[in-house]
Amino acid sequence: MVEKVLFVVFAALAVGSGVGVITRSNIVHALMLLIFSFVNIAAIYLLTSAFFIAVVQILVYAGAILVLFTFVVMFLNLRQYQSMEQLHPTQKWVALILTPLVLAEFVVVALAATWTAVGGAYDPETVAAGGGNVALLGERLFADALLPFEMASLILLVGMVGAVVLAAKEGHEYMDTRAWSGTDEERTPEFVEQEV
Amino acid sequence: MDIPIEWYLVLSAFLFVIGVAGVLTRRNMFIVLFSIELMMNAVNVNLIGFSRFHDNFIGQHFVLFTMTVAAAEAAVGLAIVTSLFRNRQTTMVDMFDLLKG
Repeated sequence: MVEKVLFVVFAALAVGSGVGVITRSNIVHALMLLIFSFVNIAAIYLLTSAFFIAVVQILVYAGAILVLFTFVVMFLNLRQYQSMEQLHPTQKWVALILTPLVLAEFVVVALAATWTAVGGAYDPETVAAGGGNVALLGERLFADALLPFEMASLILLVGMVGAVVLAAKEGHEYMDTRAWSGTDEERTPEFVEQEV
Repeated sequence: MDIPIEWYLVLSAFLFVIGVAGVLTRRNMFIVLFSIELMMNAVNVNLIGFSRFHDNFIGQHFVLFTMTVAAAEAAVGLAIVTSLFRNRQTTMVDMFDLLKG
């Protein structure tokens, strides 16, 4: 019973701060609300006894990924865009019609379908007897999903290289294949427009 | 089974639809990226709920891989945003319309 109450509380907080994320015009406020939403989702993982995932959610999502977002938001001076129109002129009407329909569809399907558990080997008693969630999760991860695990490291490497290549300032000597034909001209928006 | 699986599905549906609404309505590229992260978390909630429902670890494995992809996506997405901002001095997505016919 207490789990259900806590689930509803954390779910309401996560959804509420999620609504805050897409309604704030200040990006830093939206970012803080997103972190709060992710921490609440981590609490829901704890209630589901997925302890390792809950810790990873806080460390990797609320810790690493959103700190990355915070850095970039604070590097770029975005305050001037707060006063601009925040909503897309035409797409907001499409969204107004489509999103309630999609939500209703999801909820109706989730509540109407009959879900049958297949009854796997790792019920809470077995997990507790076998050394807990973290130990068994690691054991199963390296037994069942070793190749995807290694592929994940490759994806991270590709993402890192891609980020460096995309974000590097053009015109440096290591980027000279993409430099603009020897001119030292400052790249104003009009200049870029002309080139493209 | 303490918490019914339907609750996870409904929570996940709400978070996902908030993400969809953010991507569709907002012009600011950062909010669009935040909304994508929100949608990924909605999927993760589903996977964790089903992992508990079926008493196995497959859903939790999938969440680990989703987080890996989310980290790579955030890094590449932010690199694209900074590159676009440097070239066009704006983060409003409807300003990037060079390919529009």
